Amino acid sequence: MTDPKFAQLRERLAETQDLTKAATLLFWDQRVMMPPGGSAARAEAIATVTRLAQERFVTDDIGRLLEDLRSLEKGSDYDSFEASLIRVTRRDYEKATRVPPELVGEINRASALGLSAWGPAREESNFEALRPYLEKNLELRHRYIECFDPPDEMYDVLLDNFEPNMRTAEVREIFDRLKEELVPLISEIAEAGEIDDSFLQGEFDQDAQRAFSLDVLRRFGYTEDEWRLDQTPHPFMTTPGHGDIRLTTNFRPDDLSSLFATMHEFGHGVYEWGVDESLAGTPLASGVSLGLHESQSRTWENLVGRSRSFWRYFYPRLQETFRSQLGSVDEEAFYRAVNKVQPSLIRIDADEVTYNMHIILRFELEQDLIEGRITAANLPEAWNTKMHEYLGVDVPDDARGVLQDMHWAAGGFGYFPTYSLGNVISVQIWERTKEDLGDFDERFERGEFGELREWLREHLYRLGRKFTPQETIQRVTGSPIDAKPYVRYLRAKLAPQAV
Amino acid sequence: MTVATESPQLERLKAVLSEIADLSHAQQILAWDARVSMPRAGAKARADVASTLTQLAHGRFVSDEVGTLLAELDAAGHDPESVEGALIRVTRRDWERASRIPSELAGELVQASGVAVAAWDKAKAASDFESFKPHLERQLELKRRYIECFPETDDFYDVLLDEYEEGMTTAQVEAIFGRLKGELVQLVDRHRGDPVEDIPGPFAVERQREAGQRVLDAFGYDPESWRLDETPHPFAAKPGAGDIRLTTHTDQRDLTSLFSTMHEFGHGVYEFDVDPSFARTPLGRGTSSAIHESQSRTWENLVGRSRGFWQWFYPQLQALFPDSLGGVDQVSFVRSVSAVRPGLIRGDADEVTYGLHIILRFELERELLAGTVAVSDLPEVWNARMNEFLGVDVPDDAHGVLQDMHWSVGLFGYFPTYQLGNVISVQIWDRARAELGDLEEQFSRGEFAPLREWLHEQIYRHGSRYAPSELLRRVTGSGIDPEPYLKYLHAKFA
Repeated sequence: MTDPKFAQLRERLAETQDLTKAATLLFWDQRVMMPPGGSAARAEAIATVTRLAQERFVTDDIGRLLEDLRSLEKGSDYDSFEASLIRVTRRDYEKATRVPPELVGEINRASALGLSAWGPAREESNFEALRPYLEKNLELRHRYIECFDPPDEMYDVLLDNFEPNMRTAEVREIFDRLKEELVPLISEIAEAGEIDDSFLQGEFDQDAQRAFSLDVLRRFGYTEDEWRLDQTPHPFMTTPGHGDIRLTTNFRPDDLSSLFATMHEFGHGVYEWGVDESLAGTPLASGVSLGLHESQSRTWENLVGRSRSFWRYFYPRLQETFRSQLGSVDEEAFYRAVNKVQPSLIRIDADEVTYNMHIILRFELEQDLIEGRITAANLPEAWNTKMHEYLGVDVPDDARGVLQDMHWAAGGFGYFPTYSLGNVISVQIWERTKEDLGDFDERFERGEFGELREWLREHLYRLGRKFTPQETIQRVTGSPIDAKPYVRYLRAKLAPQAV
Repeated sequence: MTVATESPQLERLKAVLSEIADLSHAQQILAWDARVSMPRAGAKARADVASTLTQLAHGRFVSDEVGTLLAELDAAGHDPESVEGALIRVTRRDWERASRIPSELAGELVQASGVAVAAWDKAKAASDFESFKPHLERQLELKRRYIECFPETDDFYDVLLDEYEEGMTTAQVEAIFGRLKGELVQLVDRHRGDPVEDIPGPFAVERQREAGQRVLDAFGYDPESWRLDETPHPFAAKPGAGDIRLTTHTDQRDLTSLFSTMHEFGHGVYEFDVDPSFARTPLGRGTSSAIHESQSRTWENLVGRSRGFWQWFYPQLQALFPDSLGGVDQVSFVRSVSAVRPGLIRGDADEVTYGLHIILRFELERELLAGTVAVSDLPEVWNARMNEFLGVDVPDDAHGVLQDMHWSVGLFGYFPTYQLGNVISVQIWDRARAELGDLEEQFSRGEFAPLREWLHEQIYRHGSRYAPSELLRRVTGSGIDPEPYLKYLHAKFA
């Protein structure tokens, strides 16, 4: 029989989850469906719903329930649903009770308003139009940080929202390692001479791109019953409820980058999709951290979607779709082109190697902003300087510079590093899947991705948030986070002698 | 500069009401999304989320705090003519109604609706009434429990009616419908032998969308604040100020989507035009379902089926569909889109038969709730009455009792407001013509702004400030009256 207190806790958590899901849908709708005239009212609605979710969660009676359930937790297996739910909820609760609901509402309202301002600011390459929103977001983040015990570094508090238990110093160590390995790799590749990828630019009918993307997604496991795919300027994935996975991508008329964005978002989606159904309606029912999440988007985008064997299956189909553009390009040339390493301006278009430099730049700049070493007003200049320093490229305007990403407009400071952490983790997990299942090449060449998906579901996805990110990585791979496999993979795949 | 001072109670009340309005905003998005964009497998979780939000909004609204604030505000006195007075009146009315309903029941109603509407969707597709039956039974049971929360009411149906049409009683509806029924049956009979001039299609979906969009643009649709989507059943929603969503259903076999688009525009423009200072309060929406429907009917029928409108638009429509309409002159076209054709589907019905579809539903839902018709007998009774009222034979339940979603989402007491809306639309229309002169002549030039502005001034901007009967009296000088509507029908379908 279920402990009545535990049943009460579940009921209370289901309510909070429902409010969170409602807010999730409001966000999705804002970005995919809402006419612009609705933004002010939407910001209010999101602020209220998120504030209520917070208020209903930080009540004293949930605190009391968590205290009363300590004995149930101790008496249950660490891996059990009961112990996990109580443990994770306690951690969430202890964090959440630090932050007044009004501040949560304000943060979310500012985030919605910032997002609405970001679109036009980017379109017009007008940083000044966004600046007040950034300043507001930064001010709110400082108030947020003040809610916690003084950390080693202020940034730790923000990082913890996306990568629980991870310290800024640990990230810095991993990133220093990456920088040290990747900077020389980038120059080696540059010296080896340019790869022709001119055929990736051209006219690519957007409906045909959509049809091809859906073909790929269906092979991966997408069904119309549970998923949808929309078009937004900035691709994302969200899940407003169990059995409801929403991807967006950006079909551009003049290149094929949307294919990779689509596979990327599928990786996020399939992680959420694969969470064990028994966790639905509880705070355990989602991916455990953004780093782990990103490891999966990167797995499907890069380890699968930029592999030779994937294209062995799909390239003839792609050629069929875009006969005039790709008819005379052979598979190997196409493979090399979609894996071309070249410093560029836009993070989401970056190759597997330089991508990390885009992240390291953002990681450093956002620490500078938070620590007050630079102000929002100096940001474009600081951005452009670092882009030159790390990638040797000159930023022609803010639209292709500091305004390219929505994260800061939405107040998401501490988010960016998880992208590269994801890259690192993806290869650790990938190596483990290959130990169990052997090489995937033959299966991918036949268009079969089910075994990979099911292995990942079994070992990673279904766990949801039951364990910490560190425990999860340890359980899945048998070791802690480690940059070496990733660096090894990049060298093996992309160093000049390898290609 | 003087700053209007608000009592702390009023300020606090508005804070609570804006929170409720935000939750309702979220609920509208949940509902809109469920019909427009949600993958099917999301239905179960969606029903839970919607139910939780309803319970929460309900619980916060019926709290003692709101009751105390209202009591204090009433004790302090306020000008009933002022906006504040209206806000307090409407809030009190809503609060007194809502306080009768336990939050669990409010949540259950939404929960059941989320599940039932998905079941209805499937049942309709398969024309399988049996699979829908348990859901309908559940809805009736919940509605009966709801009615029991108002034990003092004379007629149980008044409870439901009053939710959509403040102050309207079953007896009034019976009187109006009684007057209409005989006349409508006669009119239908008189036209039964008319040669039916159906205009054969096909009408390409993309072109129909373009036609619909052109009409909307001329009426005053603005992409900054509006959107238009496809759903099997057209509807309009306003999740929040500045965000108006219409849907339509485009079928290449006919041009009905054009009329449903104009219909939904009427709902949308009413909501869009509400005084912005009423946003996030109970005044920030149309005052009743019938007044709302009077506006959808105005734009769909009184405007959209008028000769003046077609004088303006028919050449454009012909140009969009040269193959199908090239050889059809304007007079025949207008006659065809207005012709009386007894048919199976309410949503497709003409102006004359429409009322009979409604009267049938009004009678049946009363009988279902009273228990004098059992759910298992419903299809049979439906079909018998369709034959009696309209002389048509229902081939299957998809074209019969399963055609409308209303009962699946617990909308009992709602159908009559459609026909009341028709009645009211002509009362308001007569007034508009008296003040604005020859509207048809304006329409023939593609001018709709004078009408829209007049309606804005007279009706839309007031939101729920005035109760429906009061609004009607302010605009037309009289109470609800079926005679102008009958006169209009007789004149048009002489």
